[in-house]
Amino acid sequence: MEIDVKHIAKLAKLDIPETELGKMEKELSSIVAMVEKLPELTSKESLLDPQNTMQLRPDEVKPSFPREEMLKNVPETAAGCLMVPKVVE
Amino acid sequence: MKKLYEHSATELAAMLRAKDVSAVEITKATLGRIEEVESKVDAFLTVTAEQALQQAQQVDESIAAGKPLAPLAGIPVAIKDNICTKGVRTTCASRMLENFVPPYNATVMEKLAAQGAVLPGKLNMDEFAMGGSCENSYFKPTKNPWDTARVPGGSSGGSAASVASCEVPLALGSDTGGSIRCPASFCGIVGLKPTYGAVSRYGLVAFASSLDQIGPFGRTVDDVALLYRAICGHDPKDATSREAALGEVEAKVKGLRLGVPKEYFGDGISAEVKTAVYGAIETLKGLGADVVEISLPSTDYALAAYYIISSAEASSNLARYDGVKYGFSGRRDGTLNDLYLSTRSEGFGAEVKRRIMLGTHVLSSGYYDAYYKRAKLLQNVIAKEFADAFENCDLIVTPVNPTTAFKLGEKVSDPVQMYATDVCTVTVNIAGLPGLSLPCGTGEGGLPIGMQLIGPKFSEARLLSVAKSYETAVGGFAVKEM
Amino acid sequence: MNNNFETVIGLEVHAELNTKTKIFCGCENRFGAEVNTLCCPVCMGYPGTLPVLNQQVVESAVKMGHALNCTINGVTKQDRKNYFYPDLPKAYQISQFDVPLCEHGYLDVLVGEDVKRIGVTRIHIEEDAGKLIHDDSFDGTLCDYNRCGVPLIEIVSEPDLRSAEEAKAYLETITTILLYLGISDAKMQEGSVRCDVNVSVRPRGASEFGTRCEMKNVNSFGAVYRAILYEAERQMEVIAAGGTIHQETRRWDDPKNKSILMRSKEDAQDYRYFPDPDLLTFIVSDEKISALKASLPELPTEKTLRYVNDYSMQKVDAQLLSVNKARADFFDSAVELGGCEPKTVANWLVGDITRILNDRRIELTDTALTPQHLVEMIKLIDKGTISNTAAKTVLEEMMASGKAPQQIVEEKGLAQINDSSALVAIVDKVLADNPKAVEDYKNGKTNVAGFLVGQCMKASRGQGNPAALRDMVLAAIEKL
Repeated sequence: MEIDVKHIAKLAKLDIPETELGKMEKELSSIVAMVEKLPELTSKESLLDPQNTMQLRPDEVKPSFPREEMLKNVPETAAGCLMVPKVVE
Repeated sequence: MKKLYEHSATELAAMLRAKDVSAVEITKATLGRIEEVESKVDAFLTVTAEQALQQAQQVDESIAAGKPLAPLAGIPVAIKDNICTKGVRTTCASRMLENFVPPYNATVMEKLAAQGAVLPGKLNMDEFAMGGSCENSYFKPTKNPWDTARVPGGSSGGSAASVASCEVPLALGSDTGGSIRCPASFCGIVGLKPTYGAVSRYGLVAFASSLDQIGPFGRTVDDVALLYRAICGHDPKDATSREAALGEVEAKVKGLRLGVPKEYFGDGISAEVKTAVYGAIETLKGLGADVVEISLPSTDYALAAYYIISSAEASSNLARYDGVKYGFSGRRDGTLNDLYLSTRSEGFGAEVKRRIMLGTHVLSSGYYDAYYKRAKLLQNVIAKEFADAFENCDLIVTPVNPTTAFKLGEKVSDPVQMYATDVCTVTVNIAGLPGLSLPCGTGEGGLPIGMQLIGPKFSEARLLSVAKSYETAVGGFAVKEM
Repeated sequence: MNNNFETVIGLEVHAELNTKTKIFCGCENRFGAEVNTLCCPVCMGYPGTLPVLNQQVVESAVKMGHALNCTINGVTKQDRKNYFYPDLPKAYQISQFDVPLCEHGYLDVLVGEDVKRIGVTRIHIEEDAGKLIHDDSFDGTLCDYNRCGVPLIEIVSEPDLRSAEEAKAYLETITTILLYLGISDAKMQEGSVRCDVNVSVRPRGASEFGTRCEMKNVNSFGAVYRAILYEAERQMEVIAAGGTIHQETRRWDDPKNKSILMRSKEDAQDYRYFPDPDLLTFIVSDEKISALKASLPELPTEKTLRYVNDYSMQKVDAQLLSVNKARADFFDSAVELGGCEPKTVANWLVGDITRILNDRRIELTDTALTPQHLVEMIKLIDKGTISNTAAKTVLEEMMASGKAPQQIVEEKGLAQINDSSALVAIVDKVLADNPKAVEDYKNGKTNVAGFLVGQCMKASRGQGNPAALRDMVLAAIEKL
């Protein structure tokens, strides 16, 4: 079964060099082959689990973090914002 | 005469209260030991000596002021580098977070700080917790104290090695498919993966959200119990966390039924491992346990299901590393896409990329039903098999690893081979159950062999009591002289 | 417009909920703050952080579900929608995929004189992304994460709309309902309501739908109207020229009045939806669902129709009243007090009062006016105690100070002068001061009488009874 490594890399935003594509395809295939052994389980149902639910939280304000602290780890900032290469919309 | 760093945490806590030793003395001994053996072990990525001494100083001041001491006060607890420590570099052993300093603490860190525990430093691991040998660290591989030419196991290799070499009495690690139990077994110490939800994941850098748990390492069962007690419990910041607590652990095994699943003792498990584990089962029988043969037929599929679920979740969890908000940032002289591609291609190691690719594939259009959904449905089957098994037994005993610690570099080339080492441990994460790894013998070259105790959800107390009985019966677990 | 073709429209409305905090963290949910000051590690997607769902978000969404006659899915979950964009810190948006909180609903919309039922496919909850700032004085694009994690409900309509007019009416009704329920500020100009417009065309009578195109960046009710007209035309031209419509996402440029291709189906994203493992299944109990349903107020369409039926109001006036809940509530309270014509109350509300509010850019609730006082004022007019003109002064004062109209009339001496003897002096003076006007009237320009009456009203500081004055002026002229 062929795996479209280029397409997956595009979705995952990973740059797999041409020379590595074959190797990656082989590695993924061998892992996927292991996966093919799974028993045929299907279901029309959604993956809900009503026996295992979570609690919601109350709508109460907690102080936000100071901007300097939040931006401390940001690689490039300008005018109090994070900056990225120009995006064309 | 035992050196200070050789004592267990439980002993150190008693000595502190008896005023036989000060917290600063304990921390100094820890830092001294780290200096002594780190070049051989390479367990630490960051040592926080100054901070540790300050913390110890504060504990001594509390003692002098006659204030009551929390159980972990003054005790050094080293932390796996995927647990966020406020103001202290947290790298996940990746180039991607090489210089990342979190502005907040993981919940477990808040709990430790509230008790006055001391942070000696952050520990090496496989990058983003993906691996079983600690060889996938961007920085360096950690060595097994029992034979420094061998791996300590992974992904919490640094945690296990630092405890096994007596650098620290206690450490926290994380376990997604065996990452606490495997290194505990390779390094001859005790490691616990708690029930899913028993310990808050807030602040644990996510790998596979539905499988990850933080857990304790120690050289004794009491030490592991001490640390687990401090970190477990519901956290409103983690929607998947549950109520959990641990009382006193009493050694008990008489009358308990031990389930032995045949699927875990197949051809893939080495003879010496089987011998050691069967031997331990005999010991437990001698202590009054009954042995029941059980079957967990879905074990064969668990590894595949694990890789689908964990890589799918990981591919999504790791998408946030894009060079925009924190961490490594790639090319800025091109387009936005160039930034993303360069950041992620240069920031991540090979194993991480492989898992992201696999995860992206199994979630992608056309494959979701065949892979991801199927694996999640299988997860229910596996969980149910365990639940059914626990109708006939009180805990289950299995090996942890198929072999003893392998040599550095031996397995890195073949991912499928590497993945196969997880076969005994992944089912426990899939089912969300607690799993305890404890030493049960040695193999060739004196290399440690561990056995795994698995219990129903929130049965940590039961696992620890059986382990304690065993520990007493064998006269305690051997510590590696280094 | 080509009459052989029918336009088919579906709208996806995103509304920001006005909860106190964001959907997954305790940061304040507030518009207009300084950039990146309402953030925390959770909404910025820091490593190790986890989302915890805000109870109020679910409740507000369920209320909207009831208002749109939906089935509520009491057992549901959230899913991750994975894609890369700088306004999305986690590189996935937490949304709902296959089990939306509400589905299979409908909304009755007044379009002109008709009531049309528009199907509502689903309503789900999700988190908003941040804002990108494009400014040429910087080398790159700036990101403000204040909006990350603001809770949204997405309301998807069935493709039941058949004209730009219907679409606009639907959107306006949705917006009014949001305001009625008090769950959103619903201001398109601030972005708290956004609309994606799906348009396709097909030959009239065809049973299959044509290929649709989605338009984004449609930022006002007017823009929705214009975008639909343009896109339908564009598609019909393509077909007429022998081409085919490809499934596309297009960007609406309102100043240029056209849509521009953003991405085609081939570039379409694979979002790899899967249940978010950090959030488990959650349950909204039957009791809670019922309680939320019981808490709904009378909704706009129903209210409008009731006004038309019960008060013989024109639909236009009824809508003017019902489109603003505060105004409608005020009206209902005033009518309940009784003692005057509902239509009169309505006229004051949609007339003078709304004009004053608009001029001052304030809301009814910002004033001190009460339904009680308005009714009393109208009664005073009916009795002839004050003229309509004087009433306007009384109204202004009531709105400003909250004093009772009777008190204001006394304090300002605004009581209408009905007594002829008092008015005689005024009439005589006005006629004496305006000999030319009197001359004109005598020469047949009868409409000059209005001017003369106006002057008398002025001289009496608005307190003259206009009808009485008119009679007196005419009578006096006769005598001259």
